[in-house]
Amino acid sequence: MVELENPLIDTQTTCFHCGEICQDVVIKYEAKDFCCHGCEQVYQLLSDNSLGDYYTCDINPGKAPSKQNFDFLNHPHFRDQLISFSAKGISKVHFHLPAIHCRSCLYLLENLSRIEPSIVKSNLNFGKKELTLWFTEDKIDLGSIAGLLARLGYEPLIDSREEQGQQKQRISQQNQLFLKLGIAGFCAGNAMLFSFPEYLGIEAGNLKSLFGYINIVLGSIAVFYSGSDYFSNVWSHLKIRKLTIELPILLGILVGYLRSVYEVFSHTGAGYIDSVSGLLFFLLIGKWFQQKSFDFLSFERNYKAYFPLVISKFIQGKEQTCPLEEIEVGDHLIIRNQEIIPADAILCRGTSQMDYSFVTGESEYISLEPGNSMYAGGRHQGELIEIEIKKALNQSHLTQLWEQQAFKDPNHKTENWENFANKVGMYFTIILLNLAAVVGIYWFQHDPSKWQNAVVSVLVIACPCALAISYPFALGHGIRWMAKFNFFVKDIQAFERMSQVDTIVFDKTGTLTLHQDTKPTLQLVRDLSQSELNTIYTMVNQSTHPLSRQFAKYLREDFEVKSVDIESMQEIPGKGIESKSHGKIFQIGHARFTGHALVQQQDFIRSESQMFIRIGEERIGFIEFPWQNRAGVEYMLHALQANYEVYLLSGDKKNHAGTLLDWFPNENHYRFECSPMDKMEFIQNLQKKGKQVAMVGDGLNDAGALKQAQVGIAVSEDHLHFTPSCDAILQGKQLVQLPTFFKFAKFGLRLIKMSFVLSVVYNLFGLSYAIQGNLSPLIAAILMPVNSLSMLLIANVGMNWRGNRLKSYFKQAKGD
Amino acid sequence: MYVMIGLSLLMAVGFLIAFVWSIRSGQQDDLITPGMRILLEEKEYKNNK
Repeated sequence: MVELENPLIDTQTTCFHCGEICQDVVIKYEAKDFCCHGCEQVYQLLSDNSLGDYYTCDINPGKAPSKQNFDFLNHPHFRDQLISFSAKGISKVHFHLPAIHCRSCLYLLENLSRIEPSIVKSNLNFGKKELTLWFTEDKIDLGSIAGLLARLGYEPLIDSREEQGQQKQRISQQNQLFLKLGIAGFCAGNAMLFSFPEYLGIEAGNLKSLFGYINIVLGSIAVFYSGSDYFSNVWSHLKIRKLTIELPILLGILVGYLRSVYEVFSHTGAGYIDSVSGLLFFLLIGKWFQQKSFDFLSFERNYKAYFPLVISKFIQGKEQTCPLEEIEVGDHLIIRNQEIIPADAILCRGTSQMDYSFVTGESEYISLEPGNSMYAGGRHQGELIEIEIKKALNQSHLTQLWEQQAFKDPNHKTENWENFANKVGMYFTIILLNLAAVVGIYWFQHDPSKWQNAVVSVLVIACPCALAISYPFALGHGIRWMAKFNFFVKDIQAFERMSQVDTIVFDKTGTLTLHQDTKPTLQLVRDLSQSELNTIYTMVNQSTHPLSRQFAKYLREDFEVKSVDIESMQEIPGKGIESKSHGKIFQIGHARFTGHALVQQQDFIRSESQMFIRIGEERIGFIEFPWQNRAGVEYMLHALQANYEVYLLSGDKKNHAGTLLDWFPNENHYRFECSPMDKMEFIQNLQKKGKQVAMVGDGLNDAGALKQAQVGIAVSEDHLHFTPSCDAILQGKQLVQLPTFFKFAKFGLRLIKMSFVLSVVYNLFGLSYAIQGNLSPLIAAILMPVNSLSMLLIANVGMNWRGNRLKSYFKQAKGD
Repeated sequence: MYVMIGLSLLMAVGFLIAFVWSIRSGQQDDLITPGMRILLEEKEYKNNK
């Protein structure tokens, strides 16, 4: 029943719990306003358990609760996956809760034991948005815990097993790097301390050789433990006959180290252990800095993350839930409204409106009757249906895309791609080795006592550490700045590839065009009376269909409507809603449902974004929700055309594009009715022509293209939403800022090139000493850190200066 | 003199061990939450107990 009293429609009341504007009926409880019973219940639950402080930490901290059922987690399959440790009846479980956002969340989640006594302890990792719970397994099961979290507004996101494995691997790699960094720092600091007598020219006698030996020990740890990655990387690159920037670095380090060992043991000098370990320390800081990871985002999702985790299966006539992996050919599954088809199948019972928009980009629904086949990834709309699986999970039409080369080769983008550092590194290595040889031969002929010294100095001093340091810092800063504006780049390689892009390909549906944020158009044969409007409003307001929701919102904003009593209300899935009021039958929904003549539709191809209205025998008309261009897209396309080639790919029909096409130069620059595979091949063809391609897309239908392109940018409305595997995730609202982001990436690379020139100047200065064979350890000890530090300074100051400019630019853009 | 050098090395190694231990025991895993946790007040719960 709808509550008649509805006094607060025009004044905007915000919900005390979630801060949303109360749409319709305001619920009052303890003199506080709530937008729905869910929020009110959360409030009650919290205040009953004296967790009222939740609301004092932040203003309107809550999120509207979800009613999703998590009972499937009780299946042994998930128990094994989620519970990491279990002893004495207490089990430990990790949940990923994307909704965590403020201090109040922390307060509530760490005090969960007050609401549910069988939870012993809870611990939140805010950065990773991960909650660790210890609970008594006899008293409560996983499903109920997850359900409780969802009821509180923190719906857990259950990661697949592969994702969990990847995450664990990343964390252990991070820790190891941190350890290496710490040890390198320790060695560098102490080695400098023990080299002090040498710097100052103090005669230390016996101590000198002792200090020398201690330095050797420290240096060995630094080179062979902290620098171990350089050995393995250079070795694996040499095996495929490739010269990278790491080779001259390793050469410099190794030669410096060996020379020092020789000098110390032969009592001829003190060596350069301090410079060598110091350099390693700087290099590792850079590596650590570039490893910015966005723990709450996943860049590696495949189709499995889009599918449901569990499905309902018929086993001997009974419905049972089982994990997705256990599906076999011939199984009969139950699919409910809004659920996703997990594998290619045949419809056995019921009818369906299949929505393939996420898979193919096609925005029209397809009607299916029993006997028709359906493809994996489609979203079913309508009544409950039964399907029979025809193909195994990984052989379906959709998942074939993941069998392509681009997906199978883990180094698809990194290995075949020459970045600036490696290109320079190659020439650098060749020049350096030649120079060392020339210097060696020269001194060997003129003054044989000096040749060793000269060669070693050349190799040590010319080591291209500048590039290796300015690179990670400049690009690491780049990633961090972009993340502040909701553009999350996967790693610094992706950032660098962004700077080289000359061609940008856009997906249409969901990327450039949007269903939301648009005012629908109402096409009616006559004006509606107030009571009719009210009835229609009440009907659509009770329906959960997305179009109904938008219809209700539109009516609320543009008309004076209120909820009224209606006699009967029936929602027929896939068709529409029907109710009776004032003795007349009201029908709202599909044209076939209301019996509108199809002739009328020919002008309006977008039938699926239309809702038809019929009152009694009278067909009133329809309301249309057009796919509209995202705000500012035209401007963005215009701005991009100055520097880039732009293309449009769409799974849709051409006549859906509307005015968007005016922004592409000619008809070679757009293509319609593309399958996911077509899109991938389109990108491949562009790449064959030598283009550096960036693909901007959103759905599974773009997955292949995103993977194939040099830079795959996934557009997501909020980053909890499913995004296919990509190089960067961009928030939908920021799409129009794409030219700015590309410009920023270009700046980053320019900065690196500038600092490289400077470091060459430094190196030439050092080389002028080295070639003469009289580079003293003091000069080496000063020159190398100064070189490294100035690279660090340039990268930091330069990127932050530009980043701040970006910030003020975005502030202005917001103000407009 | 040699004792002093030995001591200084010993101290340095001590810090190194402490650093390695802190990583192994996961103290560096989460650097954000503890700072927020400390700002939350606990008084209400104590009153009810």
